[in-house]
Amino acid sequence: MAKKIYIFVVEDEPEVLDAIVRDISGFEDVFPVEMADTAEEARDLMTELLDAGSEIGLILCDHVLPGQNGVELLVDMQKDPRTRKTRKVLITGQAGLDETVRAVNEADLEHYIAKPWKKEELVSITKKLLTDYVLDNGENPMAYMQVLDSERIADEIRKGKGITDS
Amino acid sequence: MTKTKLTGIFLGLLGFLIPLVLDFPGLSLAGHYAMSIFLMAAVFWMFEAIPIYSTSILVIFSQVILLSTEGVIDYSGIAGYEPASYTRFIATLADPIIILFLGGFVLADAAVKYDFDKNLTRILLRPFGIRTVNIMFGLMAVTAALSAFMSNTATTAMMVTVIIPIIAKMDPADPARIGIALSVPFAANIGGISTPIGTPPNAVVIGALNQQGVAVAFSSWMLYALPLALVMLFIAWRVLLWLYPPQTDTVSMTLDTRMKQSVQAWILYITFGVTVLLWVTEGIHGIRSSVVALLPVTLLTLTSVISKQDIRKLPWEVLWLIAGGIALGISMKETGLAEWMVGSISWDQLSYIMVLVVFGVVALVMSNFLSNTVTASLLIPLALSLATSGVLDGVFGMLMIGLVIALSASFAMVLPISTPPNAIAVSTGIIKTKDMIVSGFIIGLIGLLFVLVLAAVYWPFII
Repeated sequence: MAKKIYIFVVEDEPEVLDAIVRDISGFEDVFPVEMADTAEEARDLMTELLDAGSEIGLILCDHVLPGQNGVELLVDMQKDPRTRKTRKVLITGQAGLDETVRAVNEADLEHYIAKPWKKEELVSITKKLLTDYVLDNGENPMAYMQVLDSERIADEIRKGKGITDS
Repeated sequence: MTKTKLTGIFLGLLGFLIPLVLDFPGLSLAGHYAMSIFLMAAVFWMFEAIPIYSTSILVIFSQVILLSTEGVIDYSGIAGYEPASYTRFIATLADPIIILFLGGFVLADAAVKYDFDKNLTRILLRPFGIRTVNIMFGLMAVTAALSAFMSNTATTAMMVTVIIPIIAKMDPADPARIGIALSVPFAANIGGISTPIGTPPNAVVIGALNQQGVAVAFSSWMLYALPLALVMLFIAWRVLLWLYPPQTDTVSMTLDTRMKQSVQAWILYITFGVTVLLWVTEGIHGIRSSVVALLPVTLLTLTSVISKQDIRKLPWEVLWLIAGGIALGISMKETGLAEWMVGSISWDQLSYIMVLVVFGVVALVMSNFLSNTVTASLLIPLALSLATSGVLDGVFGMLMIGLVIALSASFAMVLPISTPPNAIAVSTGIIKTKDMIVSGFIIGLIGLLFVLVLAAVYWPFII
């Protein structure tokens, strides 16, 4: 794999953060997970990684955070061409209708997970969104088959994506 | 850029410079330039310093610049080389074998678009029942049959979508999971040998033979290679069952088929059937397979079965790759380079069959690490010059060595990097590289052995 594709988890409550990261640990070998407890910290970390040539494939973001809130962060990411394609998920119990609508309209929110979540739900959404991301942006999706939706990736290869006979 | 790539670029350029600086006695001026191109291409291809198809394009470009009448070198008054028009080199991109492949690509592309490959697979798998052993053979037979007409890679990818649900329902400790996951890429590699359009190395060899005036009919190739494919399919199946004996007798799978029924889908089914039929019967009606290949291209585009977008998505880089291989052969022959290179080895010490053994072993070893097409492109010019220089016997000898190289190259299936089908299978995570090494080594070796057996007891009687 030439470039690293990161998963971001932004959550201010340490226990919740740990629980999310534990639930998606199956992806960690291929998609390194970065954690942040504020939007500002997440942004700094992202800038650093993006400058080093990495990509952010997925962000799982809480809404209520100290300082800037989660929806603001997602909207800002949508404005930055480098994180526009990042798949964005709100994982929260407290976002109101207005804020959620804003996230959908202005941050291209892919999914809304209400707390408390089920592990299978989180894993299957993570798998689907990362597969989407890799098929849209990865040059050779084959490298991600093992942890992502291998049937969908194989089908894209069948359609001529990534590799051909040589 | 990685260190390997940088090393590759450095060595490639160095290789290009060597013949420009050193004078090799007995080699013409044009031969020196041809060697520059050969060394650069060989190194770039080996290190994949640039994509392998770019190397092919670079070969054609360099030939036009250095070896054609329109190039920068004035060959008038220099003995030993009559420069060809640049059209000779660029025309490789419309070589009959390229057109044949184009026809195959268009058919395969349309088949994928209308899910013909998937549905056909499910129908063909039904008669194999539910016994694990039989299903494994069914999977292999269907994979091989499809990969004889479609790309090995696309066939493998499609079959992976079929086997993943099967494997998911099996006991994680059942060794047959590994056997099934290995059976698909192996069958795709084996199936690819059976027709001229099965896999690109066949194209490079047939293209090179064509340049020498040796025409190979679609049906003749099948007559030479299909028996080998069938035998190897059976052997690969037995080897995998022996290495990974199934623990359960039956497996469950659902084979829902919903053949698309639109007018366009039916145009595709009929075109597919007619084209394949005309290809495999070339020996009877005599219409050249590359002419037949224009049929699907014409029919499927004029009926909008495939669209402009579909045409754009064809694997054009594979056609460039093959064209570059054919072009490299042209300059190596015309400048006398190929003959000069093989002339430094005293082949007459070797018996005729030993020459075949040498090329078969080299092709098998090389293509385990390099692209099969690249292996064929590098070896076939040298091999054919053996025939023209009298070590091998004329047309017969050229066909024999061509078959040995193409088929041996396809039996390289030891590593994930050996062929794209292997890479896909390992990427699923069901198998480990070491599983592939063991079984791939055994099957590859048996394959090579059978190639040589055919060369000794079968081909001489039908060519």
